[in-house]
Amino acid sequence: MADHFFTFSIITLSLFVVASSGGLESELVADLLTLQAESKSGVIHLDDRTVSKFLTSPRTPRPYSFLIFFDAANFHDKPELRLRELRREFEIVASSFITNHNSSNTKLFFGDIEFRESQSSFQLFGVNSLPHVRLVGPTAKSLKDDSDVMDQGDFSRLAESMAEFVQYRTKLTVGPIHRPPALSKMQLGLITALLLLCLPLVAKRIFAGETLLHDPKIWLSGAVFVYFFSVSGAMHNIIRKMPMFLVDRNDPNKLVFFYQGSGMQLGAEGFAVGFLYTVVGLLLAFVTHVLVYVKDATAKRLAMLFTLLVSFWAVKKVILLDNWKTGYGIHGFWPSSWN
Amino acid sequence: MAAPEASTAAVPTLYTNNTLRNAFGGVLSFFILLLIGVLAFSIRLFSVIKYESVIHEFDPYFNYRVTQFLTKKGIYEFWNWFDDRTWYPLGRVIGGTVYPGLTLTAGTIWWLLNSLNIPLSVETVCVFTAPIFSAFASWATYLLTKEVKGAGAGLTSAVLLAMVPSYISRSVAGSYDNEAVAIFALIFTFYLYLKTLNTGSLFYATLNSLAYFYMVCSWGGYTFIINLIPMHVLLCIVTGRYSSRLYIAYAPLVVLGTLLAALVPVVGFNAVMTSEHFASFLVFIIIHVVAFVYYIKGILSPKMFKVAVTLVVTVGLAVCCAVIAVLIALVASSPTKGWSGRSLSLLDPTYASKYIPIIASVSEHQPPTWPSYFMDINVLAFLVPAGIIACFLPLSDASSFVVLYIATSVYFSGVMVRLMLVLAPAACITSGIALSEAFDVLTGSIKFQLPGVTSNAEVDAGETSSDTSEAQTDEVHSVWAAAEAYSAPSIVLTTRSRDGLHVFDDFREAYAWLSHNTDVNDKVASWWDYGYQTTAMANRTVIVDNNTWNNTHIATVGTAMSSPERAAWEIFHSLDVKYVLVVFGGLIGYPSDDINKFLWMVRIGGGVFPHIKEPDYLRDGQYRIDSQATPTMLNCLMYKLSYYRFVETDGKAYDRVRRTEIGKKYFKLTHFEEVFTTHHWMVRIYKLKPLKNRIRGKAKKSKSKTSSTSSSKRSGTKKKNPWQ
Repeated sequence: MADHFFTFSIITLSLFVVASSGGLESELVADLLTLQAESKSGVIHLDDRTVSKFLTSPRTPRPYSFLIFFDAANFHDKPELRLRELRREFEIVASSFITNHNSSNTKLFFGDIEFRESQSSFQLFGVNSLPHVRLVGPTAKSLKDDSDVMDQGDFSRLAESMAEFVQYRTKLTVGPIHRPPALSKMQLGLITALLLLCLPLVAKRIFAGETLLHDPKIWLSGAVFVYFFSVSGAMHNIIRKMPMFLVDRNDPNKLVFFYQGSGMQLGAEGFAVGFLYTVVGLLLAFVTHVLVYVKDATAKRLAMLFTLLVSFWAVKKVILLDNWKTGYGIHGFWPSSWN
Repeated sequence: MAAPEASTAAVPTLYTNNTLRNAFGGVLSFFILLLIGVLAFSIRLFSVIKYESVIHEFDPYFNYRVTQFLTKKGIYEFWNWFDDRTWYPLGRVIGGTVYPGLTLTAGTIWWLLNSLNIPLSVETVCVFTAPIFSAFASWATYLLTKEVKGAGAGLTSAVLLAMVPSYISRSVAGSYDNEAVAIFALIFTFYLYLKTLNTGSLFYATLNSLAYFYMVCSWGGYTFIINLIPMHVLLCIVTGRYSSRLYIAYAPLVVLGTLLAALVPVVGFNAVMTSEHFASFLVFIIIHVVAFVYYIKGILSPKMFKVAVTLVVTVGLAVCCAVIAVLIALVASSPTKGWSGRSLSLLDPTYASKYIPIIASVSEHQPPTWPSYFMDINVLAFLVPAGIIACFLPLSDASSFVVLYIATSVYFSGVMVRLMLVLAPAACITSGIALSEAFDVLTGSIKFQLPGVTSNAEVDAGETSSDTSEAQTDEVHSVWAAAEAYSAPSIVLTTRSRDGLHVFDDFREAYAWLSHNTDVNDKVASWWDYGYQTTAMANRTVIVDNNTWNNTHIATVGTAMSSPERAAWEIFHSLDVKYVLVVFGGLIGYPSDDINKFLWMVRIGGGVFPHIKEPDYLRDGQYRIDSQATPTMLNCLMYKLSYYRFVETDGKAYDRVRRTEIGKKYFKLTHFEEVFTTHHWMVRIYKLKPLKNRIRGKAKKSKSKTSSTSSSKRSGTKKKNPWQ
């Protein structure tokens, strides 16, 4: 049935094309504009039928380009594909493009195709891995061979790099990306109102001197935590988006926790060394401020021995790791006559 | 370290005679401090001993040139100096855009010595300014820590600061840069703040403002002070530690300090108009409200006070809200929300890498990994937590300041590796406190156990000795770091191989060639790293230099370097450039050459001129210059100028930095001619060929237009994109 309809529509469409291609083109664009206006983000949902209507059947050059996001609902829960995130970014690019051009630009449309419902379109494009974004230019005859694939590098900076890709390939400007604010105006107003309500209460507590802030223990643990967090290089991991560990290339079952080379570090590695940095100081403080007041001599000795061993081990470990990672060993600098 | 040992050693004999003991301790401390000063000074002299008395790296050359100008022309000329030898054709107002503290300091030292009939050259004074000020800095550390935890901790911190590697790296003899005096000013300002806080004396408060003024003169890092001190004041208020001493320590600093800061031309009205300073004004208001509340509380009966509190709280809150609203409106009206790019990238660490390539490109602005901490503060990294805990037992106004200082600076150092320098004093102070307390406690237990020697004492002594050995490791590391890692002037390079020491003095060779063989008004183009050195050593006009104030200008040079020869020639020609200088390390394996910096040129150029696209220079996302390199890469000016005639050296054109044979070995230059290549090929200088007499139609048309538009048009149409 579907096939019949398919061939039928192709025949009628091609007849129509022969008859009045100009009229048909403007009709298609009008259809697309309606579809675009119907969708919330401006991304047109395509299926096998619409793909043929808007892409395969019209004669090239088509009056528009199509940027298509290939989606698969059943892979949404796989975090490594980042489908949800990329789709959201794709929608941001689409809506930014549309708002920047006041929904009057008919040169470029954004679409998405779902795998389950449009498997033949996936075959038509030759898509066999996700995430996958394709730009079908006005002159592309074969959807598989003539369209441009957005490669990994263009996903890397999300919406911004996708927009660059579009600008580069279609020579159309996307303009500034409009991201939805993290909090809506309503939420913002509520939060401000709450804050204002709380303010007198908080001020009263402060004047009375009975907040958590008056507890030095909180400050102490806060300060030590900030120290631990910083020396472990966590800021580096956040800025560079480093993973906690890598999977060994040669042996997929093995995990790599330590990265050799001083310019980079992995998350787990940083925290491990940050722990080593911190634990020595904590033990020293324990010895200086707690252990001296312990009355029992044996307990004191044992604790002292433990502290000494752990401190020694931690410092040695850091020196070894540092040597392994950067190739730097502790040197003495002696007068040359001593050698 | 020596002081607590000394004082405890002195305890048994002099315990009864307290004044004599104090006097003895004072004299001993004085001599120890003197020795610490000598240590701080002498540990920084390795660069002079191993190389020569020479100014290092890039920025110091600029400072040296400014100092020369100051000593020659006097302070007024210096204040009004417009330098036309840099940023051609724009020029640069040096007097108004430079932090004058360092220059004035060195100029004053030079003037003082000369008036005492000690005829030192300006260069010598500049070379030794940093070591002298590191001695001052360690004394300031002693004073600061003494305010927090007493003289023993002070001496320990001072000796640690004298040899902390991170600080050594910026203050070896010859590294004549703002940080050299600024760290001293920073510590000294903090000391005076704590001193005022402890004594409540207006005299110290005034001195504090003056020290702050000196800091503002010296370094842009003064914003750290003007944010940290308000934070501490706020912390004291919030935790119920308000006192009149706090008021005296803070209010005069804000008023006097801001007025004085506005006197420095480079800061000017920024002192009241940028968001970096708003925190201090906000806290200024808050402290007045709080002071008022305390005053009311003093004159009213408790019952009346309760009534008054409600009144004051409501009124005070209303005023606060109004002020905050005004501030927010002010801040929101400016495009970067009133913050400079560098400060923004501290608050939102991902900011710079997203929006400002010129900040992200500097290696000092990268976030450090954990080995950096071990390299820069060494075993202090292990001791700091103990110091933090010691500061809480007991918590005083001064010690809470130290805690706040270490917490903020360690966070900032995690964002930007150059701020490790601000962390270093804090780490020294806390570690000094930790070590000193540990010595106090542990050696104390030896003393009391001494009559019947038990194993307990031995164990304690074991810990003491492990502390001492840690400190020794630190010293061994620091001396090594001072001697090997940080003393290289980077203007002269050495390597040691089997057949002895090799010296690469190519930079000075090239600059000397320029100054002897070119006209005094010729313009030399190079990547901005070499701008300061070219103006200072070759005395030639440059297009861009290390003061990266005009991104477009830098992007123009970046674009020229990334363009094909012809387009590049037009850009350079439009800028009156006569010579182009490139640094090339491929022959001797010098890794920080222009080819390795090239991607940044592309990025910065592409940020302004969109026809330069980074992917065109990358093959599958990889930067390579071998036979797999993209045609755009192989045809760009930087590639050609770096590798021109390179194949003649070994016949294979093997690049020893990239460890590969280059992609295109034989080519000719059409618009440039090689005029000079240094001994080890590290610096190559090219001259722009003059205009041809006969110009074919197309070139003639584009010549009349400005270079950037014409080049962008041409490469837009003609350039072959390797991806399509």
